[in-house]
Amino acid sequence: MTDNSEIITRMTGLLYPFILLFGFYIIINGHASPGGGFQGGAVLAAVFITRYLVDPNRCIQLKTLKTAEKILFVCIILYPTFFLFSTSASHTELMNLIYLIAMNFLIGLKVCSGFTIIFFRFVFYEGGIL
Amino acid sequence: MTTNILLITLVVLAIIALNTQKLRRAVVYLGVFSLISSFLYLLYGAPDVAIAEAVIGTTITTVLYLVALKKYQVFTIYFCSDPNDPNRRNLTNNSPFINNLESFLIKQEMEPQIIYSEKPLKTILTQDKFDLAICQTNQKTLIYGSVDDYQLDALEDYLLTNHGDLNIHLIRYTEGDDNEA
Repeated sequence: MTDNSEIITRMTGLLYPFILLFGFYIIINGHASPGGGFQGGAVLAAVFITRYLVDPNRCIQLKTLKTAEKILFVCIILYPTFFLFSTSASHTELMNLIYLIAMNFLIGLKVCSGFTIIFFRFVFYEGGIL
Repeated sequence: MTTNILLITLVVLAIIALNTQKLRRAVVYLGVFSLISSFLYLLYGAPDVAIAEAVIGTTITTVLYLVALKKYQVFTIYFCSDPNDPNRRNLTNNSPFINNLESFLIKQEMEPQIIYSEKPLKTILTQDKFDLAICQTNQKTLIYGSVDDYQLDALEDYLLTNHGDLNIHLIRYTEGDDNEA
């Protein structure tokens, strides 16, 4: 894993946009087809993890990811409560759709940042030389 | 029919993964195991679970296990010396022998960790967990290594070609059961 092969680097570089596109597709289309926030978020996290395989030394900003995860968590709690209590009488079809997609999106980003934090924390901080 | 074949394959793969000698191969077998199990979830009509299993079981856990294995590759060397020996300082501080050994191990993708010990050799051999134990006296250098260690042959070649003057004797020791990565 220490010396990077040219083939893997180039092929993963080509594949990044497609994996990203697939992850966002799973998230956004989650209410109608199999998939959803968690699965799409895991696919998105796989992008970061394969990036570690390509060049292990490139640093990633864990601090911003951590704050992003916290903010997303607060959003995930706040958005359903506002949605439930604000418009009590009428929930139209369109509003429900937007609500589902937005929640899937938030959960996907949260899962992605969570997985990435777990992985990079494990790689860079835990263990080491015994 | 297909599901039965796949289920049998799952059991076979699990048994293979348990019985392989090298941990790295077992990790790859586990990846294949979870890929097949995700296909089975798909056949049973649970595409949601199949996607989650494919992503998490195959990608993330495999990479995590591989990274953990890489961290596990620490090569412990015990360097024992007699505390009464007058030229002990020369050996411990920047001896070319130790430096060469370290660079060789780094080339083999291992991480050398050298412990200087003043315990007698017998207690180290029986009590501690080590990959190499080096004991240097005036005339000769004794190196103890486990029989199962596959790095040892290359190490012996390297040491004999570069340090022939040190009169190296490499002794293969049977009881060391660590270092299987």
